[in-house]
Amino acid sequence: MKTLSKIAISAITALAALGATAQEPERPVLSAYTLEAGSAHLAETYLSPLKHSGWNIALGYERMQAMRFNPDRWVMQLQGRLSLQRAANPARNARMWDLALDLRWGMAHRWHLTDGLTIYAGGSTGVDVGAFYNPRNSNNPIAAKAAWTINALGAISWNGRFGRLPVCARYQAELPLTGIFFSPAYGELYYEIYLGNHKNLVRPAWPGNYFGLDNYLSLDLRFGRTTLRLGYRWDILSSKASHIVTRRVEHTAVVGVVCEWLSLGPKSKSTNDPRIINALY
Amino acid sequence: MKLKAIYRSAAVAATAMALSASLGGCHSIETWNNDFYGNFDALWTILDEHYCFFESKNIDWKATGERYRAAIDPEWDDKQFFNHCAAMLDELKDGHTNLISWFNVSYYRNWWSDYPQNFNLRLIQEHYLDFNYFSGGGMIYKLLEDRNVGYMYYASFSSSFGDSFLDEMLYSMRETDGLIIDVRDNGGGDMTNVERLVSRFLSEEICAGYISHKTGPGHKDFSEPFAYYYSPAENHVRWLKPVIVLTNRSTFSAANNFVSVMKNLPNVAIVGSVTGGGSGMPFSSELPCGWAVRFSGSPVYDADMHLTEHGVAPTPGGEIDMDTDLATKGIDTILEFAIEVLNRAAEDKEEPTRTLARHQ
Repeated sequence: MKTLSKIAISAITALAALGATAQEPERPVLSAYTLEAGSAHLAETYLSPLKHSGWNIALGYERMQAMRFNPDRWVMQLQGRLSLQRAANPARNARMWDLALDLRWGMAHRWHLTDGLTIYAGGSTGVDVGAFYNPRNSNNPIAAKAAWTINALGAISWNGRFGRLPVCARYQAELPLTGIFFSPAYGELYYEIYLGNHKNLVRPAWPGNYFGLDNYLSLDLRFGRTTLRLGYRWDILSSKASHIVTRRVEHTAVVGVVCEWLSLGPKSKSTNDPRIINALY
Repeated sequence: MKLKAIYRSAAVAATAMALSASLGGCHSIETWNNDFYGNFDALWTILDEHYCFFESKNIDWKATGERYRAAIDPEWDDKQFFNHCAAMLDELKDGHTNLISWFNVSYYRNWWSDYPQNFNLRLIQEHYLDFNYFSGGGMIYKLLEDRNVGYMYYASFSSSFGDSFLDEMLYSMRETDGLIIDVRDNGGGDMTNVERLVSRFLSEEICAGYISHKTGPGHKDFSEPFAYYYSPAENHVRWLKPVIVLTNRSTFSAANNFVSVMKNLPNVAIVGSVTGGGSGMPFSSELPCGWAVRFSGSPVYDADMHLTEHGVAPTPGGEIDMDTDLATKGIDTILEFAIEVLNRAAEDKEEPTRTLARHQ
């Protein structure tokens, strides 16, 4: 009986030890809250044949975390951005507004190169909804926008120091490859859609008719627990359907704060020496 | 090594951004100079690619443009140039076409100015309504008790009315021989108000008409006409007794559409003169100089697939002009005629269209 008890205790101890070594690493969540401001160049030929230029402001949120199944190699990214553009026609006597909400979720494989250099490649999917508004038009004042796309995602980051300050510089680009987007026909009024004609409103998207490239350059200055993010975004969207061309080009300066946090619930296990795998740093 | 890595990263970013710059403009947008010729070309092109009645009005827009472009004098001031462009737009003979600048809005007026007005609101208010009537939502109405008919005047479909207001109005007239809906001088407005008003006179769903749109810049690039339907108003007072709609040449756009739909209803007759048309839903655009332009962009057809751009004719037997001599004595001969038809139709227990046909 004593022998059996010894075997059982040994087995439990061994399993416990095994459990300790196989414990999942901690995967902190990186959250960035940003404010963007800059210039906007708009064109929406359903509303006006003229190119408009003006300003842009946006609120952004980004969340990154190493994936559970292979945290060293895979990271996920969630992005949300609400932007408002106001642009004037060349004569500066009429305005065009654009409100857009962009939500994306993606995953990327990463390769750690030397000297803090990491490259990322993966994909994302997301929706981009909003509307262009030209207040002085009569029956065609609004051009609604909606798209669901699957995107290629690539990034390169460098973690290092400026003097004694830890920094992380990153360049990220996303390009829609395919998806669907909404567009009325060339001269179709929204009144006709209201009456029930919903034919051909959804178009397949490919880079030839729905070209977008979101270039995002960020520099994270890691002051202790709080990180300051400075950046620059160059976001281009150009689509063409039924001879209607829509173009939105934004150049924005980015400023924000970044924090990393760990979720510790009552069931969380901790060890004295947890392995931490960051998504970006 | 660190510097090399940074340079490498920067090179990747710069390459991607250069790629963005080259591909971002892949969907070209036509541009024009902001001078007389550039603005003229922009105006002509916008109309050429979007205006919807070139074929039905048999207009040679290319020849028109060449003629007007050749006549431009670079020494003109802005107002002379504006008048020249407006004259070109007048060739379309379209009340929905305007050139809008900071100093003027061009407007083709001949579609109504060449016709008798056939309406005097003051005369009706004074001699038929005794300046004592109900009003609301852009409408005025009164039960003409001594003539046993209800009368309502609706000035503009831009004015929205309340459902309760309509309920009260129709219910108050329930004992009369019929209802007169006066849309003379109604220049149109919101098409959804047409649907709301028509729905009070329906016993079943009807095809109200067809709408089409341009599918490309060519003069013949149109979609298949789409049939649209109106349903009876639910949970509200509906009027299925005789109705006469009064029209004149200034009954235009959405009001013209209202008349075209009402004309097809069994217990409704149209009395007055041919309406002003305006069956193209307006579309807006702008020129490099900042002027705006509005024009007919989407054709709307009646339920028989007839284009009503040139107006809707009264019911056979219902065509009548106002006697201007009698008008000076406070008599609206069009309204008098409508009252008489409603009274006779009630007496003979028949639809007003039959009464009109019999007395034609």
